Amino acid sequence: MRILLVEDEKKVADFIERGLKAERYAVDVCHDGRAGWEMAEAYDYDLVMLDLMLPELSGTEILERIRRKNQQVPILILTARDGMDDKVKNFELGADDYLTKPFAFAELLVRVKALLRRGPVNRSSVLRVGDLEIDRLTQSVKRAGKKVELTAKEYSLLEYLATQPGRVFSRTMIIEHVWDQSFQGLTNIVDVYVRHLRAKVDDAYPVKLLRTVRGVGYSLSDGVTT
Amino acid sequence: MNRRSISFRLVAWYAGLLAGIFVLLCASLYLDLRRFLVNDLRESQLRRAREIGNTLLVHVKQTGESYVASQTEDWYDPEINDRFIRITRADGTLIYTSGKPKDGSFNPDEVPKLAPSPHVVFSRELKLSGNKTLLVAALNFKSPGNPTYLVEFGALLDPVNTMLNHLFLQLTLGLPLAVFVITVGGYLLVRRALTPVEQITRAAESITQHNLSERLPVAQTGDELERLSVSLNRMIARLDDAFQNSKRFVADASHELRTPLTILRGELESLAEDPRLASEWRDRAAILLEEAVRLSKIVEQLFALSRLDAGEAQTDWSRFDLAELAKTTAEQMGLLAEDKNISIHCEARQPMPVEGDQVRLKQVVVNLLDNAIKYTPKNGAIQLRVSAVNGHVVLEVEDNGVGISREALPHIFERFYRVDQTRSIDSEGAGLGLSIVKSICTAHGAEVEAVSVPREGSCFRIKLPLSKN
Repeated sequence: MRILLVEDEKKVADFIERGLKAERYAVDVCHDGRAGWEMAEAYDYDLVMLDLMLPELSGTEILERIRRKNQQVPILILTARDGMDDKVKNFELGADDYLTKPFAFAELLVRVKALLRRGPVNRSSVLRVGDLEIDRLTQSVKRAGKKVELTAKEYSLLEYLATQPGRVFSRTMIIEHVWDQSFQGLTNIVDVYVRHLRAKVDDAYPVKLLRTVRGVGYSLSDGVTT
Repeated sequence: MNRRSISFRLVAWYAGLLAGIFVLLCASLYLDLRRFLVNDLRESQLRRAREIGNTLLVHVKQTGESYVASQTEDWYDPEINDRFIRITRADGTLIYTSGKPKDGSFNPDEVPKLAPSPHVVFSRELKLSGNKTLLVAALNFKSPGNPTYLVEFGALLDPVNTMLNHLFLQLTLGLPLAVFVITVGGYLLVRRALTPVEQITRAAESITQHNLSERLPVAQTGDELERLSVSLNRMIARLDDAFQNSKRFVADASHELRTPLTILRGELESLAEDPRLASEWRDRAAILLEEAVRLSKIVEQLFALSRLDAGEAQTDWSRFDLAELAKTTAEQMGLLAEDKNISIHCEARQPMPVEGDQVRLKQVVVNLLDNAIKYTPKNGAIQLRVSAVNGHVVLEVEDNGVGISREALPHIFERFYRVDQTRSIDSEGAGLGLSIVKSICTAHGAEVEAVSVPREGSCFRIKLPLSKN
């Protein structure tokens, strides 16, 4: 999998590059718009990540040029602007996703995986993490064969975490996915739900599946799969 | 009428001064004229008395007293001219006295005899029957070689008095009329002059923080009022600039902080997750990361506020049921309240259609409920009510928590304001939650107010226009 990252802030580009390489992606980095466009034209990428404010050629301009060539490559916009107009305009021009700075790298990774159709395309009706079983059709949950009673919100939270076992989900992502953006800034609601979920799913068992990642968020893993 | 208004005071002063000046002027005119006329009459009588002395009495030795009497009668014809003439010897005996005037205007017999007087010339005013006043000038006439005679010459003062009375009547009637006309005229003039001030006042009052781009009407009259409205407009422009600058500053600052925050968070995240580091170092990185996340949240909220300031709430306008929204939000927040064993009682029976940005109005409910939960101790109760009052939808969030002190209450909607500076329960936030509530409400033309009794609870009330169709 080869990813093109066009970002003029070298330090931002550095940690994204490092993080993606650690996930075993091949990453090409350009620091200005013109070089970015030349790279995008010359090679066949699986994903392009564009900053909007770039020297020489703006991210929107590159986006337009790539789409004019009718390339199907997924494009993720990284930007410091989050005006509604900007977002709508770039989606209309053919962007696939949009991430506003500052973001958690964990979140970037989840979105990258989703765009590369490796992540949440886990469409099987039963999700398994260790001895935890989630049946998406009946919305029932079993741990070590025993049924666990969950409220609707607790279930959505657990199911969301189980779509990518071992992956860290930021509180922002969880809120956007399980609640809605009105709850933005109310991150303690996630903590309360996770606490309740833990009491039902983990407390009675020696192996703890729900993991807190300080400063980032939560993940669901049996410690074996990552 | 407002007794302290400029028009009232101006007209009152102006009318008062004019009335005073008029009274003084009329009084002096009347008195002066009266003195002049009486003096003039007296002088003319005296002059005639002297004539009698100088032409007749000088030669009394040669002509005899009876000649003097007959000549006086001939020359002055007092009965026809309504005059009083009397010539007396020094011992008080008469030489001549005029008869009754033909028109019978006075009776000369009523004029009392004069006691001998040392004065050469003098006069007296005599009240006679029939309410007549006679002015009598008297002359002690001496000539060398002749005895002294007293010559009296008089005329009625009544024509003068009649004229003066007439003048007095004219003045006392005319003066109030003149003052009245002047007052009314003055009032109309002042009103006309002050109408633009009234307009400027009204226009200035309609300008608030939210329509600072508007200006006052400027009448091109070249007078002081044009200058006033022009300088007021300049002041509004400066205020507008200042507001714009502070808004732009918030927007720019929150924007400029994004890139460094991204780098901070990215690097700290990779440190906190780096398995090669000792867990102690990873913990420290995680602490820093938590703070960086908190910073980002503040930047996020500031940016949201600056967008609300810029009027961006209008982009996602729709019609929806606020009662339903309140109910579902209360349900979604239920666990947060349950965690502290706080009950949320939701009272929203009828559908309440409103128009607005649903996501942002939901944020209002979320922030208010979150606040109520934070500041209500365990086992407390929260009431969420949605009701219709006079064509408005009123949403209330009432708790029986710690309440807000009287000093803090006017400031709670200010940015970065914290009720308790030293130990805030809300260590996560930055004191922006309620200012976001306020900004969203303002963008929706809604009013928001808070009432609170310390240690008994608080109530936040939002009043939105009810959607018509």
